[in-house]
Amino acid sequence: MSDFLINWIANAPVTAVPYALAALGLIVSERSGVLNLTAEGLMLVGALAGAGTSLTLGGHPVVALVVAMVSAGVVSLLFAGMVVVLRVNQVIAGLAVVFFCQGLTGLIGTLANWQNKQITGLPSLVLWPFSEIPMIGRLFFMQDPIVYLTILIFFTVNFVLFRTMIGLRIRAVGENPAAADAAGISVALHRILAIVSGSCLIGLAGGYISVVSVKLWVTGMTGGRGWIAVALVVFARWAPWPALWGALLFGCIEAVIPRIAAAGIRVPQYLMLMTPYLATIAVMVWVGAKQRAGGAEPGALGQPHVREERR
Amino acid sequence: MSLALELAGIRKSFDGVVALNDAVFRARPGEVHALLGENGAGKSSLMNVAAGLYAPDAGTIAIDGAPVSLSGPADARQHGIGMVHQHFKLVKPFTVAENILLANRRRYFRSGIQEIRKAIKAQAEELGFDIDPERRTDTLTVAEQQQVEIVKVLVGGVRILILDEPTAVLTDAEADRLLETIGRLAESGTTVVFVTHKLQEVKRYADAVTIMRGGKTVATLDPDTATAAELTELTVGQTAALPARSQTAEGQTRLNVGALSYARADGRIMLKDTSFFVRAGEIYGIAGVSGNGQAELAEALIGAQEPTSGEIWIEGMGDISHAASGQPRSAALAAIPADRYAYALAGGLSIADNFAVANIRSGRYGRAAFVDRAAMRRDARTAVADYDVQGVRSVDQKAALLSGGNAQKLVIAREFSREPAVVVAHSPSRGLDARACAAVHERLLAARERGAAIVLISEDLDEILSLSDRIGVMTRGRIVGEFVRPADRQAIGRAMVDHA
Amino acid sequence: MSTPTARRFGRITLDMRQNLASWKQAAFLGGSLAIGLAISVAILAIAGIPPLQLASELAGVLNADSLRNTLVQAAPLILVGLGASIAFRIGFWNLGLEGQMIFGGIFAAAVSIHQIGPPSTRLIFMGLAAAVGGMFWVLVVAFLKIRFRVNEIIATLLLNYVAQYFLFHLLYGVWQDAQTAFPQSSQFRPFERLTDIGLGVNSGLIIAVVGVLVAGWFVHLSRAGFYMRFISANPAMAKVVGVPIQATTILVVAASGACAGLAGFVNVASQESRLTQSFADGYVFSGVLIAFLSRNDPIVVAVVGFLIAVLFITGQTLQVFYQIPFTMVQIIEAIIVIAVASSEFLIRHRIHWIR
Repeated sequence: MSDFLINWIANAPVTAVPYALAALGLIVSERSGVLNLTAEGLMLVGALAGAGTSLTLGGHPVVALVVAMVSAGVVSLLFAGMVVVLRVNQVIAGLAVVFFCQGLTGLIGTLANWQNKQITGLPSLVLWPFSEIPMIGRLFFMQDPIVYLTILIFFTVNFVLFRTMIGLRIRAVGENPAAADAAGISVALHRILAIVSGSCLIGLAGGYISVVSVKLWVTGMTGGRGWIAVALVVFARWAPWPALWGALLFGCIEAVIPRIAAAGIRVPQYLMLMTPYLATIAVMVWVGAKQRAGGAEPGALGQPHVREERR
Repeated sequence: MSLALELAGIRKSFDGVVALNDAVFRARPGEVHALLGENGAGKSSLMNVAAGLYAPDAGTIAIDGAPVSLSGPADARQHGIGMVHQHFKLVKPFTVAENILLANRRRYFRSGIQEIRKAIKAQAEELGFDIDPERRTDTLTVAEQQQVEIVKVLVGGVRILILDEPTAVLTDAEADRLLETIGRLAESGTTVVFVTHKLQEVKRYADAVTIMRGGKTVATLDPDTATAAELTELTVGQTAALPARSQTAEGQTRLNVGALSYARADGRIMLKDTSFFVRAGEIYGIAGVSGNGQAELAEALIGAQEPTSGEIWIEGMGDISHAASGQPRSAALAAIPADRYAYALAGGLSIADNFAVANIRSGRYGRAAFVDRAAMRRDARTAVADYDVQGVRSVDQKAALLSGGNAQKLVIAREFSREPAVVVAHSPSRGLDARACAAVHERLLAARERGAAIVLISEDLDEILSLSDRIGVMTRGRIVGEFVRPADRQAIGRAMVDHA
Repeated sequence: MSTPTARRFGRITLDMRQNLASWKQAAFLGGSLAIGLAISVAILAIAGIPPLQLASELAGVLNADSLRNTLVQAAPLILVGLGASIAFRIGFWNLGLEGQMIFGGIFAAAVSIHQIGPPSTRLIFMGLAAAVGGMFWVLVVAFLKIRFRVNEIIATLLLNYVAQYFLFHLLYGVWQDAQTAFPQSSQFRPFERLTDIGLGVNSGLIIAVVGVLVAGWFVHLSRAGFYMRFISANPAMAKVVGVPIQATTILVVAASGACAGLAGFVNVASQESRLTQSFADGYVFSGVLIAFLSRNDPIVVAVVGFLIAVLFITGQTLQVFYQIPFTMVQIIEAIIVIAVASSEFLIRHRIHWIR
């Protein structure tokens, strides 16, 4: 039993990282007031770009991950252009970008023949001597480098958002774009910046799945994780650290599914696979039941900004 | 001596609607200059041009004699112009220091915040304000928020300070203090422009006054030499007669509000055991400075928001405070909310639709399966004629195209089409010119004549005094005092302030 | 005239428009559509299909044989478009169309498998069951939204995945076809299929057309349709004025789910005549696209639905003869939405050029 537990929890960070990075990326862009539904699509872009790079170069996982980030950032410019410059309805724009990415990644993945090819992946980082501690050593100090990097990223983003001028400006733009505008801040520029940088994180999340976690590419391999990340952002009330805990929770859920079958417990396979999605809905219900009305979301979330609007 | 600020030949339209038509403005350095006019005269628009928020379609701007072209509010700030708006541009969850840092950019956050804290203290002392830089702005009172706005602009080092209707949200005492502070500021060399529609302020505090009407500059005078009557006539164009009223016998209680309480989502209590009653054929005016729960009370009465506890009792219906959006309330209660396009009109839909929605449920416009559009249009046309709604080429045009006064008339036409027993009017003449205002007042008095019980919530004390039979003063979410017509203005003012 | 201080380029400012003539709106819409299609044609050309070839394929689609297939494909698309547009009209983002189609198909198949009802009316029972199935799957979300303020965008999308897995569970389990051992249900009996009724028109299309007429009546002529306009134009006002918001919303959402459920039934009973794994794939975005291009008007949905069916059939042809993956269709759909959505900008704003 304890073997099962350790095995499970040791693997949870691997499944949690995509949720964490995607949710963080969404938080960054949503803090600037843009309702961002593109995670599912951008994760696919990152996954494909990472897998493709790794397969083409024959390894080099780090390069692949960087390419994943950059690709997602580039594609996010489409979304940024639509919602910031052209002030398209952010729900429609998000959905359109997701479907565009799904189609595009499916197309390229098939045409370039990258499906189901094995990728090298990243070796674990062994933090000696902590890794020698019985039980805990395996859990916390023998993960792949991206897990540790994720924690670092969380610290960094938290600092930037709340303790720097640029973070102050981004948050102002999200809470009250009229005030930011009157203060001489370019609402458009900061939103684009937030979207693109957030999208790089989302791309990294996708790249991690294909290059490090699963180590191959399959069409549509993100399987709804992007939508779960969107729900996580609400659950975390747009704050970075709660998003990490939520991601860990979902990492645990996702990690336990294959292990239960392997442990010999007989549960209908497909019903088990439903669990993450049902769990997400359960979390949303819990969040809705707990709070009376919206209070944590950025004040101007979802509304395009035009300076000379007359009431 | 060159002019501190000069605007000449300014033109500005919004989608075909002309807001400024060759407007002119000149202010000398170090003077307190009032910009006077009715609602919709173009005062705010003109100052928004000066502060770089609007780009004029035509005209010139000159600062200290040199012509400039402003690309935005930041550019205006660079040139030394800063504006404090009617609707504050503060980021609510941020602290005072963060808000001021936002507007006064520094390179680094940590050092910047410390610098700003010092600057805030210095400015606040000079002005006589008491501001804690670490408090979140959404915990401050309206007057304190305004102080933050002023400090924010001054820390940036402005030579020309523009205030848009600064006293609209203040009590009489707070307004006096503010205007005195402004006077001192002007003495130290800053040019101060304040936009207002209140004559008394102009006469007491301004060195010069520019009057605007209909988007044009009508005159520039010295308020010490001009008489109040002169100023009024230039501002309004024609003196509007006060509505006549008859004495009506007061009937039974139609509306009884008992211990109504409401707490907002963030915990702040806006209504605290509010209680009052209104009888048939009387107008009950609720006076007070805005922000003391009036908006929440209005929303609870019209059904836009459910109160936390208490009751709203209407004769013939019982307690409607927690009715689901079912039909009871709207059948007997007419709602004239302050924000027309928030609660009273759907701007994107036609005038006919907006009018008909009141009676469609009762079957007047066809069965549930088929809506009788022709009957809707007919009734709408009749109402538009009866209530003198201008600017209607066809009842199929979008309601958003109506000007403020006409939109209000449409709302009243619809609400009164059901012969309501109770009327709730919240700031019914906000944003209306004198004629439209008089028309609205006439309608309210006519309803009173017909025996309706009317609740009139307004920040305009003149309106309250001229229309109400009884007046309740609302402070901090409850009615703290009641007065009967004819009411003593000073006593009411004291009641508003004493409990603040 | 203003004297600028050393400025090289003009300055662009934006104004919101209040009103734009209908013909101008249509012009912008048409223009953006043309641009979207042009980009799609360009991408196809890069993928190896020159435009002339494409044109001949398209023409081929419209001849008698392919027309029949197109109409068969149009029926579920139209129904899904109706489902999407009705819900979008009141701002309920029903993105669970695939899940509702799946449950529609499942309920209909259940009627077939358990032989509910006499043969002469079996089809009707299947259709009704499908509508109920779709309604059920969407009302779950409606309930969660009303009671717990759960965001329906995410909830409906997640339930798509849940429905998909439930379908697998059935198709690999109790409902697996004993004869073929594939993950699909047994074939429907002859009287359980939607057949052609002459002139190449499939009875599924009849259902779609009836759906269009009913939806059109509901939205334009009924009192509920009148209420819907206020709920979408100004929900706060609707509440104050006494519009029965909750009742109308539930009614509309249920109707939306029913349409999607029926789409599942039509798809399953007219094409494969059995429940398969992927019959509902790609319908969410097609539904969103159709609703979006039709501006949520049921009558226009019929036309746009047909056009998207043409796109689908063309895509299948390209897949079979030119090895272009079917995901190309998805990309083209996305490009069209992006182009049209972007044109809204010009409709809603006027650009000033200030020197």
